[in-house]
Amino acid sequence: MGFGQLLSYPFMQHAIVAVLFAGIAFPLIGVFILSLNLVPLRFAMMHMALLGGAVGLFLKVDPLLPGLLFCSLSSMALGPVSERMKLGLGTLSGYLMTLSLALAFILFYKGNIHVVQAFGILWGNILSLTLRDLLLVIGVSVLILGMVLLFFKEIQAILYDREVALAVGLPEKKLYYVMVFVLGLSVAASMRMIGALLIDAFILLPAIAANLISRSLKQVFLFSSLFGLMSGFIGLYLSFLLDLPTSSAIILVASAIIGFCFLIQRRVGFRAKVMSDRMGL
Amino acid sequence: MHHSIELVDVHVHFGNVAVLAGVNVLASPCEFIAVVGENGAGKTTLLKVANGTVRPQRGQVKVLGFDLSENHHGHAVRKEIGLVPQRAVSHRFPICVQEAVLMGRYGKIGLIRRPGRADREKAYEAMKAAGVVQFSKKLVHELSGGQQQKVALARALAQEPSILLLDEPTTYLDRESSSEIMETLHCIHHQRGLTTLLVSHDPQWIDPYCDKVYLLKDRKSHLVTKPSPSVQTLCRNSDEGTERRHQEL
Repeated sequence: MGFGQLLSYPFMQHAIVAVLFAGIAFPLIGVFILSLNLVPLRFAMMHMALLGGAVGLFLKVDPLLPGLLFCSLSSMALGPVSERMKLGLGTLSGYLMTLSLALAFILFYKGNIHVVQAFGILWGNILSLTLRDLLLVIGVSVLILGMVLLFFKEIQAILYDREVALAVGLPEKKLYYVMVFVLGLSVAASMRMIGALLIDAFILLPAIAANLISRSLKQVFLFSSLFGLMSGFIGLYLSFLLDLPTSSAIILVASAIIGFCFLIQRRVGFRAKVMSDRMGL
Repeated sequence: MHHSIELVDVHVHFGNVAVLAGVNVLASPCEFIAVVGENGAGKTTLLKVANGTVRPQRGQVKVLGFDLSENHHGHAVRKEIGLVPQRAVSHRFPICVQEAVLMGRYGKIGLIRRPGRADREKAYEAMKAAGVVQFSKKLVHELSGGQQQKVALARALAQEPSILLLDEPTTYLDRESSSEIMETLHCIHHQRGLTTLLVSHDPQWIDPYCDKVYLLKDRKSHLVTKPSPSVQTLCRNSDEGTERRHQEL
């Protein structure tokens, strides 16, 4: 059966639509993570999503809903709690990460959860998305895109320097908490699609590649989305062609894009400068 | 008499650590005030109190007539205050000088709305005043420390502030760049009729620019007149300290 024939099946159509939306929108969150140094927070969210999934399996309900709930609550709480308790975000994230992992394994053990089900949360499967999963991905993607388009200048100021954003009179803290909350939503939405452990395929890796060759924030966002789309579609195709797990294939393509950008960064940086000068991007 | 900045008996402590314990600083409109003190004396905290980002546990803070002690007006007042922080931005963020200066207008433009032609013109005027127009298309992190400091000054000016707060503007700069930035600052202060409050651990750049000098020592402020033994002693100690640090390096 050719790839073209596969496209007529709903599971494939769901996968392509998910890649289209997530590929464009989720890497924008990766730009937030890199600029605001939220990498430890991202780890904490991934493990909270895993814990939520474990709770779902233990209670024999859809793991996505508890995963979404745990990520949302923790993302709403982490920012304010770390600032009130004067704890670094990394310290608090490390604590949550370890605790949630331990609790998840306890639930797997006590619930007699089969290893295949547990791995399903860790690796995900973009080819098994239900309509509800797809609607969640689309909803979160539209939210991210809307936020970036409407609040571009505010996001730019916060990513540049939170102190400067506050000093020029922006509601920096509220916007920062909203960005962290949306990060939590995107991690939860990625869980079924790509797995709690491999969300970097869509969120972080395209942003890393974009940062290597961009000379403005607009370019970072555009290239992140482009690389997210490329790694998603090429990874999907290669997984079919070479019989590979889809999540892993997407990560391999995203990693190759990073390598390519690293090699050409000087040359492309010059071209990006020309694009910046001529098109105002 | 109406003051632009009134800090009266301000006490700030973080946890059990007292940072400011009875600080009084008054700045009249169009005055150029300096607060000098050693490292760790609480100078940056004093600026943050004046900017409304740190609330004192005791004392009164009034800026442009707004009482900041209760933190109701901090957000509105910050739009009228141009802050030049001490450090340049540490990470390599992809932003050119033009965009970084335009950022000073974001608070006045309001949420969601895009910068218009008038905002870009004001940002351009601010770049001209600070002497960074020739770098407008360069990325900020590609500039030298002194140039980045001027970009920060231009951004503060783009806000069209009534008050300018500067945190150690000559730190990390060599003698020539320090002199240049102080001259620029002095010109801008007079041209725009600003109230300027500058904090520094290095008092050699204060005279002849400042109208009034406060010494921050033992968590309290002391108004000194120029030239005075206190300021001169601080100059002497500062020079000796700098010499010692160079020898250690």
